[in-house]
Amino acid sequence: MTDLNQNIAAAATPTFKFAKDKLAFLLSLVPFLIERDEVTVTATARHFDVSENTIREAVNLLTVSGIPGESDFYQHGDLFDIDWDAFELRDEIILTQLVAIDDSPRFSAREAAALIAGLQYLQSLPENAGSSAYAHLAATLARGSSGAPSEVAVAPAEGSSWLASITAALTEGTRLSFSYLNSQGGREQREVDPLRVDSTNDDWYLRGWDHGRGAIRTFRLDRIDALKTTTEPIQFKAADVHLSDALFDASAQDLTVVLEFATEAVDLLGDYVPEGTRVTQHGEFSRASVRVAHFHGLKRLVTSLAGVVRVVSPPEARMAVAEWAAAGAARYAATGTTTSHTTGNGVV
Amino acid sequence: MAESSVHVSVEERLFSLVLALLSSEYGLTKHQILGTVQGYRQRYAVGGDNATLERQFERDKDDIRELGVPLETVEDPAEPGNNQESRYRIPKGDYNLPADITFTSEEVTLLNLAGMVWREGSLSGDSRRALLKLHSLGVETLEPVVGYAPRVRTRDAAFGPLTDALSRRLQVKFAYLKPGETKARERIVDPLAVVQHRGRWYLFGLDQKVDAERTYLLSRIAGKVTVTKKTSELSPHKLGEEGSAARCLAQLDAIWESNIATVNTVAGSDADARLEKRGGSIRNSDASLSLHFTDTALIADELAGFGPEVLVLAPADLIDAVRRRLAQTAAAHALASEQPA
Repeated sequence: MTDLNQNIAAAATPTFKFAKDKLAFLLSLVPFLIERDEVTVTATARHFDVSENTIREAVNLLTVSGIPGESDFYQHGDLFDIDWDAFELRDEIILTQLVAIDDSPRFSAREAAALIAGLQYLQSLPENAGSSAYAHLAATLARGSSGAPSEVAVAPAEGSSWLASITAALTEGTRLSFSYLNSQGGREQREVDPLRVDSTNDDWYLRGWDHGRGAIRTFRLDRIDALKTTTEPIQFKAADVHLSDALFDASAQDLTVVLEFATEAVDLLGDYVPEGTRVTQHGEFSRASVRVAHFHGLKRLVTSLAGVVRVVSPPEARMAVAEWAAAGAARYAATGTTTSHTTGNGVV
Repeated sequence: MAESSVHVSVEERLFSLVLALLSSEYGLTKHQILGTVQGYRQRYAVGGDNATLERQFERDKDDIRELGVPLETVEDPAEPGNNQESRYRIPKGDYNLPADITFTSEEVTLLNLAGMVWREGSLSGDSRRALLKLHSLGVETLEPVVGYAPRVRTRDAAFGPLTDALSRRLQVKFAYLKPGETKARERIVDPLAVVQHRGRWYLFGLDQKVDAERTYLLSRIAGKVTVTKKTSELSPHKLGEEGSAARCLAQLDAIWESNIATVNTVAGSDADARLEKRGGSIRNSDASLSLHFTDTALIADELAGFGPEVLVLAPADLIDAVRRRLAQTAAAHALASEQPA
């Protein structure tokens, strides 16, 4: 198997907020316990990536669950049962009586589709390109689904030529050296301990410890040039530091900008308006206060969303955007005016 | 202890319903279920009005089916259409994952990563439940080493209702704003696929008004998507047809391949570095870049963001589109246009 696949990131421990999730968990826990014969609460919690308490609560629920039975009154013989001594004294789960379930449940059409589309997206990993393992796995998931998987698909992400070297450095635990074009437009030599590769749709990022800054930084792979791997071992491992799910930690920045945008356009603003940001309604538009380090990235974003996003304040931010757009427009002044009323090629 | 005072949680009721229907060979009638199954029986009024409980049962059935549990309704042949006499059951053979479906440790590790792609947005619940079921097989994953965090965003408001309609095969209605038009027009569509191509989500479907397949950008859907109660009118053959998503992606690839823009970039600028690394871009002998694109309006947005770092040379409609955007942004941010607080 490939290096990147082994370097799997641990997902946040899921908490089951919804009854549907709790039901899926119970229907999954029973066949696991049958398969293992006897297993500790700790091992079960680790296997499902949930808390030990979640496991104990589920086991307690199991022991009062079953079928109405001949009597219609859920008699003892109609319920799941466990070896109580093992559970209470040794924290071990041993099912001694089973009801109705003896196998894993099938995937729903949407569940199978989610994993299949996820696999399609991962095909862009350099080690996996064209791998037949994906087609085989997708076919297996489809066979294990209770209905034909929904037609949801993701084209493989456009890779980056740097991925292979970065992956190698991540696996080896060695430092990277590269030239980086920062968002202010300057090029700098950076020495970075790689911690993780993040991808969001078609964009790739390196998260790492930047030796020059003495801090964790996020680098866009398409701004990296002349990347070299070194034999220098990294000083920090991913396990030693906290990497948030957001690529850019905006909370530490000191400039506050108020953005106004079409409500349905929030996705286009990406990490500028992270999920959970307070969004208020102003007529048909939404507004949010966001924090930025400088206006360089902001002016590019806002100019790429003409008519969709507008900076409300402060005046300095409005001016940065206005100047950027005006400078762009000025480049066409010399080329004369062409007027065309076509709406262009493309979808619908 | 009076049984009615016992609190039964939602998951206990749902779990009990699944167990009861799995273990009943011929199925149970609604009144057998409400009268005997844990979570219903405590609230069941013998011979009384059970309308609330019946509605609860209807919702529970939907929830259970959404998990992929094949909960069947079998009508009484003597009284077709009388749902009081219908029997409900879960055939074990359709419930169980086929015995020959197994996964290796490497495969489970890879599928964990595939599930992680959806860790936010409306497929997160589905992928989380898929992984629970996968882990029920007891296969150990490889040692998790933090190293790669893939993510596909699904924050388009239309994504949830459209994928929901897709899996339930229901027709959708929405207002769609075509570039170059000032007013959104209503579309009625039988969804065939929802795909992401080069970072954008698209709906592929049969437009009922023009009776032809169309591809819509989710970001151009204005307002709410209405999932109708109307079942898609596509023939069962076509509905079951796999590969609508692949067909849509192939069409988008072909469009992307055939559209080419030529731009000049300021040497050493962000635009220069990033557009050169954009998939499929070609550096011409005169240092200009040739870029492929799917949609004039989308690439115009992308190029306008680079401000003075990019000069579009061709095609003419793209030049116009970029100029209009730059002028619009400049005007919208001129200090004179600022609204007093």
